[in-house]
Amino acid sequence: MKALILVGGFGTRLRPLTLSAPKPLVEFANKPMILHQIEALKAIGVTEVVLAINYQPELMLNFLKEFEKKLEIKITCSQETEPLGTAGPLALARDKLIDGSGKPFFVLNSDVISEYPLKEMIEFHKSHGGEASIMVTKVDEPSKYGVVVTEETTGKVEKFVEKPKIFVGNKINAGIYLLNPSVLDRIELRPTSIEKEVFPKIAAEKKLYAMLLPGFWMDIGQPKDYITGLRLYLDSLRKKSSPKLAKGFHILGNVLIDETAVIGDGCLIGPDVAIGPGCVIEPGVRLSCCTLMRGVRIKKHACISSSIIGWHSTVGRWARVENMTILGEDVHVGDEVYSNGGVVLPHKEIKSSILKPEIVM
Amino acid sequence: MGSSEERVVAVIMVGGPTKGTRFRPLSLNIPKPLFPLAGQPMVHHPISACKRIPNLAQIYLVGFYDEREFALYVSSISNELKVPVRYLKEDKPHGSAGGLYNFRDLIMEDSPSHIFLLNCDVCCSFPLPEMLEAHRRYGGMGTILVIKVSAETANEFGELVADPVTNELLHYTEKPETFVSDRINCGVYIFTPDIFTAIQEVSTQRKDRANLRRVSSFEALQSATRSLSTDFVRLDQDILSPLAGKKQLYTYETLDFWEQIKTPGMSLKCSGLYLAQFRFTSPHLLAHGDGTKSAAITGDVYVHPSAKVHPSAKIGPNVSISANARIGAGVRLISCIILDDVEIKENAVVIHAIVGWKSSVGRWSRASGDYNAKLGVTILGEAVTVEDEVVVTSSIVLPNKTLNVSVQDEIIL
Repeated sequence: MKALILVGGFGTRLRPLTLSAPKPLVEFANKPMILHQIEALKAIGVTEVVLAINYQPELMLNFLKEFEKKLEIKITCSQETEPLGTAGPLALARDKLIDGSGKPFFVLNSDVISEYPLKEMIEFHKSHGGEASIMVTKVDEPSKYGVVVTEETTGKVEKFVEKPKIFVGNKINAGIYLLNPSVLDRIELRPTSIEKEVFPKIAAEKKLYAMLLPGFWMDIGQPKDYITGLRLYLDSLRKKSSPKLAKGFHILGNVLIDETAVIGDGCLIGPDVAIGPGCVIEPGVRLSCCTLMRGVRIKKHACISSSIIGWHSTVGRWARVENMTILGEDVHVGDEVYSNGGVVLPHKEIKSSILKPEIVM
Repeated sequence: MGSSEERVVAVIMVGGPTKGTRFRPLSLNIPKPLFPLAGQPMVHHPISACKRIPNLAQIYLVGFYDEREFALYVSSISNELKVPVRYLKEDKPHGSAGGLYNFRDLIMEDSPSHIFLLNCDVCCSFPLPEMLEAHRRYGGMGTILVIKVSAETANEFGELVADPVTNELLHYTEKPETFVSDRINCGVYIFTPDIFTAIQEVSTQRKDRANLRRVSSFEALQSATRSLSTDFVRLDQDILSPLAGKKQLYTYETLDFWEQIKTPGMSLKCSGLYLAQFRFTSPHLLAHGDGTKSAAITGDVYVHPSAKVHPSAKIGPNVSISANARIGAGVRLISCIILDDVEIKENAVVIHAIVGWKSSVGRWSRASGDYNAKLGVTILGEAVTVEDEVVVTSSIVLPNKTLNVSVQDEIIL
């Protein structure tokens, strides 16, 4: 089986992190975002993954070489020279996706994090015999998204309603598809939307089915949702009793700590924290609802919550970092400084407090 | 002149509970003059400066607070300084000159040759012996302590012009609308007993005018002086202004620090000024430590002997910690006043803040202010609880409140 991952462009919504790394390589729960998807695909027998990408493909391929070997999976790139929307990249990668076997292929949106119940999806696809399957997930505020209206018992898709003003349903497109190769015949090589132009046509022919995604779902394309996504992801690890979760009297709730990280005495860590490789957490530090990328140092008595600390950044003694503070790569927050929602671009030194959310260029 | 038989008394005006509202919420619990700066009650600083005056016979505190509020302090300071200190309660506010005049018989009991008059809410080095010496040289009725300030801030105070050679007071005007001078009145004076005659004259003139007013409907409309009773005599407008240029009043300029303590923010700044002064006057009151056996101390810090500070805490500059306060492991204190029975829990940070009696600041919490913010430094009133990991920024919290969420630029009633 093959799969296409829609990687897309600059990842501007996740800046300043994506100023230092392409979005799929930004770590989520101590693992590059795209590896969560590649590993899930490998686990159900996918042998080749095509990345639809329009930015820095070399960087990505270089990085992924080692995982190609490790996971024994072929990874190639299909580079857009102009943005082709959500469907165009499928047409562009047509030759890579069609292998004559007639088997369906997966399409995944790289911003989405979930438990990837891909095996169940294959079963679902087989059972309905249609041309395409899409995963849907229930959300609290469907008016922000495109709502998928389905027949309750079979999951057959009746229609798509983009950002409905009145309630038509609470299931939205989760960005995970399983498509027969014939779907590619419906897509022209031009900028086009799979949700607006391709799926409605398949639905009209009653060949599109939606499966309700079990477990959590989050689009982690922006910092706030990234932090929420980490909570949901760690919750799901907890439900699976994952041995990856840290244990100890200084741990509260769900916490991931890389084995090369060092934690000092008198710290209190959690809930919902990910500490990357080579991090040093000095004594008396408090961490909650935050992600520390590789090589971060948090000095004594600092307190961090609801924030992302970029690679090799440092946070000074008695500093306070909170409220969606996002520190880019190699940012240094001085001793006793307070950052309330500061978004700091890479290679900066923060010497005075940021009292209200603002961007530091 | 200058003989050893001469006796000097000092009068310190402490005001009363209806004054100093700008000092809330701290003045809700304690008379402002007893609020600690550098670990000592505000009024302690002028009192200990008086101790340097030769032949000091008596110190009077004049105000309209209840006697009981000052009883304990007055008795302990009398013992400590070996100088009698008495609290004299006015039945109502009489103005600073009126208040002095009201107690003239008591003040003159010791037949002093000179009377110092000090306002409690100014912070300075009180160069009183130097003023006395200058006053004797001038030979006038009174000498005023003055300081040069920036032209922009001068109009908040009494501006005055002095003769550059003789130091005679030539002109005095209180809080003028336009610029008069960058020399201002520090609220510290020395007088000969003739001051009582001068005050009496103002009072008598006012009585006469009050009698006249009964027949003059025009003057009855002049509301500016109508509300003033005959025994209310202000020192600045009623005495200093009219006597300027009459070879009776002189000035002594200080080159040291001087501030007026109207707000809690100013009290924090003044606490720092007094701590810095301790380096010269009372070095034994300043704490030391390098973080090994006792907490790391940086800059000027006062710690009451009964306070407990964990060795892993870092304190200073400009911190004073009052009785029975407990400062936990890994705490950072910068520019703050920690009052009696306060608990600062592990890893908390307090910067530019005043933490009121019996309050507590939770683990990894942060109470910080900013002199330039709308509400200035952060003030926690008495028995305020800041729960773990809460951030209080440039806010004022009234007594007996519990904060479980972060606040910024807010007054919490």
